[in-house]
Amino acid sequence: MHEASLVRSLLSQVSNLLLEHNGESVEIIRVEMGPLSGVERLLLEIAFEQQVHDTLCRGATLQVEEVPLSAVCRDCGDEFDIERFRFVCPSCNSTRVRVTGGDEFRLLDVDIQTKEEALPR
Amino acid sequence: MNTTTTIHVNRDVKAELKRQAAEMREEFARRGTLVINVLSSPGSGKTSLLEATAKHWHNRRRMAVLVGDLATDRDAQRLAPFCPVAQLTTGGACHLEIPLVQRGLETFGTDDFEFLFIENVGNLVCPASHDLAEHLRVVLLSVTEGDDKPGKYPKMFRTSNVVVISKSDLLPYVPFSVKAAVDDARLIQHDLRDFTVCSLTGDGVAGWCRFLEETREQMIADASASATPTLSAREPLAR
Repeated sequence: MHEASLVRSLLSQVSNLLLEHNGESVEIIRVEMGPLSGVERLLLEIAFEQQVHDTLCRGATLQVEEVPLSAVCRDCGDEFDIERFRFVCPSCNSTRVRVTGGDEFRLLDVDIQTKEEALPR
Repeated sequence: MNTTTTIHVNRDVKAELKRQAAEMREEFARRGTLVINVLSSPGSGKTSLLEATAKHWHNRRRMAVLVGDLATDRDAQRLAPFCPVAQLTTGGACHLEIPLVQRGLETFGTDDFEFLFIENVGNLVCPASHDLAEHLRVVLLSVTEGDDKPGKYPKMFRTSNVVVISKSDLLPYVPFSVKAAVDDARLIQHDLRDFTVCSLTGDGVAGWCRFLEETREQMIADASASATPTLSAREPLAR
């Protein structure tokens, strides 16, 4: 989809977190993507490398966690992973399913370096 | 001496955009404006369907169209004789986003519409990822495109509420099964409503318009019944 603009938004959100927490630098940014998040992993990683140097996140590593498209059946309640975009419950064959994951691009957590307060003497 | 701290976020990177869209959707519902995001490949008949819709209502309903294209105002010119229309020329952008919609709305000088159609850029991929504060997402599939298309564009069909099979007058000439197309789409989105129309002859247009009128009435009922104003009047984008 539009990896460059997603990365711009991601880096701006992480930069704000760094400022809010009075951090020195960002070490690791962990994100989650799935088959319906509209994100292509390779393009995401390239966009990140291209943009990260010009932000407060410079030096940070991007860790991408790929999750399956998961769903719950609205008829029998079974929880399952959707394969090849067939939104069909494997237990009861119902197509009334609700997606519970794998359709978003999520910022999971961020490791930042903070200066330790000088210990009182 | 530095220490490492982990900040837990666990949030959709687009959460703020989604919140903004939900807020606008709620506001449109309060004002009684049903917003319909119309999507398809280029040339599937989005503009023709909107022309046919406007002709069917013939000023009995207050409708307006925001139409997005990479270049030219040809679609706006086609629709202008029938209803207020604003052309959003996106330059290179392959889809519409909320700021473009807001800019287009400002050109109308009024917000007193019962139906606001947003005719998106012809594209079955990128527009699927952008919530434009619509109450209904409608995807057109013309019979010349082939009945195997829904499965190839899962995000578009998954996030849509309605599929309109267009150019039905060509059905005798092309190997297209309406049932196969709709069945394929329903494997992706069970709750899809389907309509088969021919905008040229007007076939099926009355049923489509009636559905829009009923959906708007339901939206207004839901909005006034909603006790907590923070609730979105209708959750349009299925998960």
